[in-house]
Amino acid sequence: MGLKKLWLVIERDLRMFIQYKFLLIMRAIWFVAQVALFGLVVNKLVETAAAEVGISYFHYYVAGVTIITLYSTTMFIGYDIFEEAEHGVFEYLLTLPVSRRELVLGRSIGGGLRSFIYVGPLLVVVLSILGVLNPLHLLVALAALFLFAFGVSGMSITIAVAMKSGDKYDILIGVLDALIVRLSTTMYPQLYMQRAMPAYAAIANFNPLTYAADLFRWGTGVESALQFSPLVGVLGLFIFFFAFTFVGVVFYERRLEGGSWQ
Amino acid sequence: MKAILHVIEYDFTNFFRFRWFIAALITMNLADLFISAVVFTQMTSLVNYFKFFAPGLAVVGLFASAFMIGREINMEVRREIHHYLLSLPMTRRELAIGRVLAGGLRGMLYMTPLLITNFIVLRFPTPPQLLLILLTLLLLAIGISGVSISIAVSTTSFEKFVTARGVVYYMFFFCSSVFYPLSVIQVLATKGLEPLVAFAQINPLTSGSDLIRSFLLDPNEYVFSPLMILNVAVFSVMFAFLATFAYAKILQRH
Repeated sequence: MGLKKLWLVIERDLRMFIQYKFLLIMRAIWFVAQVALFGLVVNKLVETAAAEVGISYFHYYVAGVTIITLYSTTMFIGYDIFEEAEHGVFEYLLTLPVSRRELVLGRSIGGGLRSFIYVGPLLVVVLSILGVLNPLHLLVALAALFLFAFGVSGMSITIAVAMKSGDKYDILIGVLDALIVRLSTTMYPQLYMQRAMPAYAAIANFNPLTYAADLFRWGTGVESALQFSPLVGVLGLFIFFFAFTFVGVVFYERRLEGGSWQ
Repeated sequence: MKAILHVIEYDFTNFFRFRWFIAALITMNLADLFISAVVFTQMTSLVNYFKFFAPGLAVVGLFASAFMIGREINMEVRREIHHYLLSLPMTRRELAIGRVLAGGLRGMLYMTPLLITNFIVLRFPTPPQLLLILLTLLLLAIGISGVSISIAVSTTSFEKFVTARGVVYYMFFFCSSVFYPLSVIQVLATKGLEPLVAFAQINPLTSGSDLIRSFLLDPNEYVFSPLMILNVAVFSVMFAFLATFAYAKILQRH
């Protein structure tokens, strides 16, 4: 496998990302509104509960919103795949002197990397709000977030290639987004999910967004004690990354043959 | 009147083309209520959050669906389908009024299951209360449809429309009592965001959701005021006129 060719595929996806400039601006506005309006007000609403678990809800929520933003921007790669299928770009890609595997792996890495680049400036703002207690923890958390982003990219590609219609993909992603975000600890501590409905907490235990959000909070020092060991979180994200990147690669590779995406 | 009814029928037919999209939106709304609101209920002692949020959710659904008409109109202008609409045997004003009303009525239709969920999980209103709720929400939906159409015809590209829509969404949703009580929003004033607190107080979404709360929750805690209806009515009339005028004028110019 040629690294240079792989990089060319990644570079193409990075460039493609810029075409979403208005959607990216929208995401940034959403982020600011979530932090500066919703986060501040809900912080007041739940201050007793936050004190009970020894956290600032505002800080807790800011970290969670960062993970939601990383997740949702990484999911964009699936829309690119539909656009390419609809406009006949797939055929062009297949004529390139790049192997199927390089193409697919490059897309998966590119999808994760570009969202990480997008979230980068937001991350700087977030870290200036949250502060960093232990740089080593933060490095571990950021490495885990890379795995998370590549895993989400693989998941998005897997779903996109498994569906024939862009509309169905859009709808499924909307529903998945609603459930995966709400059934995770991005917005609320697991203790309260357990109190509200033990089933929600049980699902959250296996949700990659929970691992990513909790590890990020641990990395920045927002949460000193996690529900699970950081090692378990990193392992959970690694399994997620491995499963979806390689399942995505195999699926995408198979769909490319014989024009079955049409 | 018949011409306006034809326009409304046209928009309703378009609306049902997106039935899976609508089903997904309802799922998302219900996930907000039955997952997020249930968890937040455990986190706050200020209000029973589940009960508090349920009326807000109906208003959120109304807003999102009434706003969909703008997306379609923006697309029609970009793809020049409006030439066909202008060729129809009806006046520009009838066409514009029909579009504004259709946007509002579609919002009411979408919101109905969410409102029924409210009645089931909270309580059923008396017939006069139900009439007041429906009247206020209809006015609100027409006003939202007006805002959406005004933005749709004054933005030249879909991206600009989407960006403007996002800003309007977040302003209306987060600076209102849809998600949290008005008293809690005061915290923004301590952070130097007084204009947002002032906006939250006059936001028609605040009036709409608080009006439903006053009939479905404890009336001592959420007091009904006729000013709520007046506020929504002023918003509705203002934006319905603006949208009608802008739609008719801008289509003519294209």
